[in-house]
Amino acid sequence: MSLKAPPSPASSRGRGGQPARPAPRSRGGLARLGPLPWIAPVVLLILAVVVWPVIELIRTSFLNISIAGIVRGSAGTDKYRKLFEESDFGHVILWTVLWTVVVVGVTMLVSLGLAQLFNQRFPGRRITRWALIAPWAASVLMTAIGFKWMLNQTAGVLNTLMLDLGIIDKSEDWLGSASTAWPWMMFVAVFVSLPFTTYTLLAGLQTIPGEVYEAARIDGAGPWQTYRGITLPLLRPAFLVGVVINLINVFNSFPIIWAMTQGGPGSDTATTTVFMYKLKETDLAESAAMSVVNFAMVVVLVLIFLKVSRWNEED
Amino acid sequence: MNKRAVAAGAAVLAMALSVTACGGDSGGSGDKNTIKLVAADYGDKKSNASKIYWDSVVKDFEKQNKDIKVEVQVINWNDIDKQVKTMIQSGNVPDLLQTGGYADKVADDLLYKADEVLSPKTRENLIPSFAKAGEVDGTQYGIPWVSSTRVLFYNKKVFKEAGIKNPPKTWDELAEAAEKIKKSKAADTPYALPLGPEEAQGESMMWQLGNGGGYTDGGGKYTIDSKANVDTFKWLQDNLVKPGLTYSNPATTDRKTAFADFAAGKAGMLNGHPSLIQMAKEGKVDYGVTTIPGKDGPLKSTLGVADWMMAFKDGGKQKQIKKFLDFVYSKKMLKFDEMYNFMPVTKDALETMQSSGKHKDLQPFFDELENAKFYPLGDPSWDVVSAEIKKTGGKAAKEDPKKVLGDLQKKAQEAAANTK
Repeated sequence: MSLKAPPSPASSRGRGGQPARPAPRSRGGLARLGPLPWIAPVVLLILAVVVWPVIELIRTSFLNISIAGIVRGSAGTDKYRKLFEESDFGHVILWTVLWTVVVVGVTMLVSLGLAQLFNQRFPGRRITRWALIAPWAASVLMTAIGFKWMLNQTAGVLNTLMLDLGIIDKSEDWLGSASTAWPWMMFVAVFVSLPFTTYTLLAGLQTIPGEVYEAARIDGAGPWQTYRGITLPLLRPAFLVGVVINLINVFNSFPIIWAMTQGGPGSDTATTTVFMYKLKETDLAESAAMSVVNFAMVVVLVLIFLKVSRWNEED
Repeated sequence: MNKRAVAAGAAVLAMALSVTACGGDSGGSGDKNTIKLVAADYGDKKSNASKIYWDSVVKDFEKQNKDIKVEVQVINWNDIDKQVKTMIQSGNVPDLLQTGGYADKVADDLLYKADEVLSPKTRENLIPSFAKAGEVDGTQYGIPWVSSTRVLFYNKKVFKEAGIKNPPKTWDELAEAAEKIKKSKAADTPYALPLGPEEAQGESMMWQLGNGGGYTDGGGKYTIDSKANVDTFKWLQDNLVKPGLTYSNPATTDRKTAFADFAAGKAGMLNGHPSLIQMAKEGKVDYGVTTIPGKDGPLKSTLGVADWMMAFKDGGKQKQIKKFLDFVYSKKMLKFDEMYNFMPVTKDALETMQSSGKHKDLQPFFDELENAKFYPLGDPSWDVVSAEIKKTGGKAAKEDPKKVLGDLQKKAQEAAANTK
């Protein structure tokens, strides 16, 4: 598997040496700008909607802003200190890591199985494949609110169901305390992440040529051996894409937690993103500081991705 | 060369931005004769939305004052403070704001003093205890809008089924009554204790007052983790939460859930304000009210809550604002109070309501008014502290109250130091 392509002739266009095509000198000034006129709007858009807000965010995190919304001058690094001294901070970071790892891990495992299943021929495959899209097509917020009500202590259908099945002996307030709210929110997060991941893996599975399997069969490899020796390694690019996109999605996931518990009680069920939003109610600058920390963590995630994808190339 | 590309791109971008900007505010902010009013929505359905009230007020006002226009924006309680903050930050400051707190804006010197925007006659008409609660360091900025006091509501049918003869007067009697309700299965939730983010600061204070506690001492210093307050939450834990006589997770249960449960006959008793009267009636709940029990006897002073009107200096529309406020406070107070069953903050409206005979069900609330205790509203740091209590205060009913309240006390002290 090598994604490294030899430099294409097109990319060395116009550079001195061997003119592959006649140089478009005759078209004058605009051409000399190269691709700039075409990408400039996009670059500007990125500057305006990505870079500028980030700068503004970092600037805000060093300001002292009153609760009414008035800037009262610089705060130095006070807001960062305040953030790191929050009694909930360590706990929130720990749960953010757990949340991300568990949700992505379970999603990948279940999706591997599902993708394998959907790669088989069976009657009704088309319908079940369509059905899998449903959690993806529905708005995440809507799904989360749906589960919130299904888990409601007095009126929730899931409570009634579990009660009737004898799984629990009295109605539970699932989302009221952290110990039961986390597993349920993780469940919902996995539920909404499955379709995308499964389809990514399914696409990966379908790129594996049949001959490889045939060869394995002739060599007498068992199913488990085939899976570990052929399917998994060949699935790696798709798998990596799935992991990375899910990592970023789940890490940033806000609607599920906000709709189901609002991070409560206190900040017991908050990830850093939710915590940042809650801080906004009392101190905007501290919330910005949390955002900067969040941003740094995402950058680290992306760097890890770049590293890992290079590892993928070199294989 | 690069410059040209940048310029072209910038032009495109500027056009895009200006087009979207045009869609928003349709100007008028520079017009001295247009007052922008932002108000909270007290309604719980379309038919009693506050927008209806304000629209009719504005219509009548504009009829009498042809030169002044009033733009009204009504925002629901969950969002109003956030949105106002955004308005202030972006320089789009309203001229009048009606919401829950005012002192944070005083700290930033944003508001007119009350006597700058109210005629002497209107000012004298305000009930003195409320006018006083609108003061920061002896100067009144907050103009009271509506008020309420809190009492204990109980479901008479549930009490009868459980064999409770008299409504509780002390904490022990309350716990005993709750126990009886639980045993007889007369209601799902014997006592509804809503310590969720919606109004944790209110329910907490009602209990703390019963033990001689509260948020501040006589000198205005925060005493959130005082022994009286910690003991209050210990009592709640041991006598209501652990024995299952209330919600299993009070810290995540909001007041609206508790009110809805009571109105549906699912809760035996709870602390409530006058809006619950209407809800209970609609739910056909035969309710009774009594003074909130304290540790050793009924509260001598219950929690009084007031919402506020305030005028911003930013637009420089002092004269216009004064005209509008005088109009509203002299002619339209009663209408709002009657619309939502609130208690008035002006003397004439109070007299009318008490003497008209139409509001007998509010009498127990009026009786409590005289001795009511307020949040430390005049403290500019209160808004931050209140927000912190809303977030985590409820956890004191399940975790170690000393730690939860201790954390809050630390944050309150920091906030107080920051606003000085």
